[in-house]
Amino acid sequence: MSGSIITMMIGISTFLGALGLAALIWGIRTGQFDDQSKFIDGARFDNEEELRDAIQMEEKKKQAKVKADKEKNYRPVD
Amino acid sequence: MAHVACTHCHLTFDESVMITEKHQEETLYFCCKGCEGVYHLLQDEGLDTFYEKLGNQTLHPATQSDDDLSRFDLEGFKNKYIKTNSDGLNEISLIIEGIHCSACVWLNEKVLHQTEGIIEATINYSNNKAKVVWDEEVIKLSQIIEKIRSIGYNAYPYDASLQEERNIKTRNDYYTRILVGVFATMNIMWLAIAQYAGYFSGIEKGHKNILTIAEFVLATPTLFYSGWIFFRGAYYGLKNRFVNMDLLVATGASLAYLYSIYAMITEHGEVYFDSVTMIITFILVGKYLEVLSKKQASDTLDKIIGTMPTEATVIKEGEKALVSIENIEIGDIIELKPGEKVAIDGILENGAAAFDESSLTGENEPVHKKASDAILSGTICLDSVIRYRVTKRAEESLLHTITEMLSDSITKKPYIEQLANTISGYFSLTILSIALATYAFWQWHSGSFETALITAIAVIVIACPCALGLATPMATLIGVSRAAKRGILFKESRMLETMAKSTLLALDKTGTITEGKPSVIHLHTQEGFDPGLLLALVQSSNHPVSQGIQEKLHATYPDLTIPTLTDIKSIDAKGITAKSKAQSLAGGNASLMHSLGIESDFRSEHTLFLFAQGGKITATIELQDRIKKAAKETIQALQAQGLKIVMLTGDHEASAHGIATSVGIEVVYHSLLPTDKASLIDKFHKEGEIVVMAGDGINDAIALAKSDIACAMGSGADIAIEVSDVVLLDDSLERLADAFEISQTTFKTVKQNLGFSILYNIVTVPLAVAGYVTPLIAALSMSLSSLIVVANSSRIKLRRKT
Repeated sequence: MSGSIITMMIGISTFLGALGLAALIWGIRTGQFDDQSKFIDGARFDNEEELRDAIQMEEKKKQAKVKADKEKNYRPVD
Repeated sequence: MAHVACTHCHLTFDESVMITEKHQEETLYFCCKGCEGVYHLLQDEGLDTFYEKLGNQTLHPATQSDDDLSRFDLEGFKNKYIKTNSDGLNEISLIIEGIHCSACVWLNEKVLHQTEGIIEATINYSNNKAKVVWDEEVIKLSQIIEKIRSIGYNAYPYDASLQEERNIKTRNDYYTRILVGVFATMNIMWLAIAQYAGYFSGIEKGHKNILTIAEFVLATPTLFYSGWIFFRGAYYGLKNRFVNMDLLVATGASLAYLYSIYAMITEHGEVYFDSVTMIITFILVGKYLEVLSKKQASDTLDKIIGTMPTEATVIKEGEKALVSIENIEIGDIIELKPGEKVAIDGILENGAAAFDESSLTGENEPVHKKASDAILSGTICLDSVIRYRVTKRAEESLLHTITEMLSDSITKKPYIEQLANTISGYFSLTILSIALATYAFWQWHSGSFETALITAIAVIVIACPCALGLATPMATLIGVSRAAKRGILFKESRMLETMAKSTLLALDKTGTITEGKPSVIHLHTQEGFDPGLLLALVQSSNHPVSQGIQEKLHATYPDLTIPTLTDIKSIDAKGITAKSKAQSLAGGNASLMHSLGIESDFRSEHTLFLFAQGGKITATIELQDRIKKAAKETIQALQAQGLKIVMLTGDHEASAHGIATSVGIEVVYHSLLPTDKASLIDKFHKEGEIVVMAGDGINDAIALAKSDIACAMGSGADIAIEVSDVVLLDDSLERLADAFEISQTTFKTVKQNLGFSILYNIVTVPLAVAGYVTPLIAALSMSLSSLIVVANSSRIKLRRKT
């Protein structure tokens, strides 16, 4: 076996492993494993209705943000 | 009569007591108005899929809380709990009470999401904590809380900036570092296998170099990222002028790393990157276990602080005004309504009322107070409107002092220096100096830098504190798991060691030595007594006395039919009255009978319950708090082991001594307030005792937090469980004795392990110094010694009486 093949094999496998590791660490950092039970229940309560709910919440958040920005940038008419 | 389940909470009750309702050919049953209300609300809002998600789970019946909502919109409350986030929206952390299952979480989030003005609501199922973000212009906090209450739950605010956030952060940080370490170790292991195979059977130089470089790439992040914790620990240790194990690990690992780089570049000799990652990862895992078992921030403490009143009604010149408690002066008059919690200590001016003092004394019986009696904060006024004069400022009041002391003592737990830590300090220092001396000697003796360095590294690697580091955690881990199998939960593993060294055991009376609930000792009946009526009457109350009587009635009269009662009135601190058909019924203490004009001359030293049918007493029942099974034997056995046992109780002298003599405790401290118990623990500490305290109530919480080891009963108050180190799940004192036995066995094993690791080092280190051991063999024997420690620790499991 030539050296370059060994290098390639070790390199690729370690790289793939590192990708998995990075994904896991990202999950931990963003708090996705903080509540184990909810994490599991997420799959149980997964349907169209929940999806609509999530979208609705996003909308609400956006609106609130727009409103807050408006207030921040509000200047009396001069 | 058949038992049916409530449609909302799924608890089963007798059909006759249920509220029934016809609904599209289906009959719905509700156990109470609360459940009925919630059910219809969910139907109307289209949230009935909740019941599908709930499955067969049961809930608490939905109680309609009448606690004052307006306090949530007051200025004092706002300043304390509500934060404004960067978008100018309000944010609060709440504890939601009553969450049992994932369906509950779903329902709460759903309802909050549907509410106009709520921007974000997330609930953590594990600790029932919620974060809610809302727009103040659309909805008020009191309305949000009302919404949560309307579906049968309750919410308290808490201050999230406490330790909790920090704890989660360290935990995640360690976890990430370990993941990197484990990943690198696993990969280096298979690279090392190839390399070892090559070492014994020959390998092409080029291939070996590739493996070496790959190992280098993996070892570098492990040493500098995962191992950062050791470098930091070593730095702080040196700064405070002591040598700790972190320093040994850090020097060992970095020396091996540096030498390996040197070997890699010169292509001469063996590399030890695998040892570097293994040392770092193994010891890091041990450290992580320690962090993990550190006590969580006290969730229940948050709950107590959250229910603390922030305002009180002050009467000034005949006018009532809600004043924030910080602004109340000594001498002000405060009005207290039934059900309100006292915020500030004071003295009752006029009138009389019953107070629930269970949070202070642990006794369930309401206490009757009359003019010029002291009113203590934290107690709850039960039955009448009274006015009292403030004698202390808010921050000096009892409730405030208690919560203050609690949060203090949780963070500053008395802590006995650990055996392993002291040993490893000296050990590290010795090994480092030996390694240095070895290096100097070989440098002078052989004149070769390489030989000298290799020998010095072999000394450090063979003395690698793996076995020493594993000696304590391994033994305690197994000890803790064995204890858990027997219903004893140790929250922190190092508590086993402290417990084994303890010299004094302080026991609470109610709920610890005794069962904490009254049970019937005598039942005298007279002519015309109808047990069915009595059962129906006591079933309408959940006072401990009624429950004791219920148990007795079920035992003596099986198959009772329960008639329906009307006009049920419960008179706090006195008893219950009701009507059955035309007959009037009354059950309660002598003062109830007196106020109803029913004559009774029965006297008893125990708690007395009188039952009258149609104005004539037909039954007198004596109740007493029973001593737990095997309490006496256990206490004697513990005393025989040389443990001093004392009793601390909030109860009065006579009953305290009565219980103490019957279980064989000689030293009794009675009539203690929670703070008194705590100062007694401090006193024991000053006398040089290592104190184990066992208790179950809110009133024991500070004393528990102050003691070296706190044991709580599994059925005790949440706060007591939260601050304790050991929880006895089945509430029995025998388990307490078991806990002592297990901790002693474990401590013995810890000592054996430490002894072995030191012996191992005494044998191998001289060999390494003499240059007989190459670093490779050193690394192998290091693993072997760790294995022996693990095997010895598992012997704890094999002990008899499992």
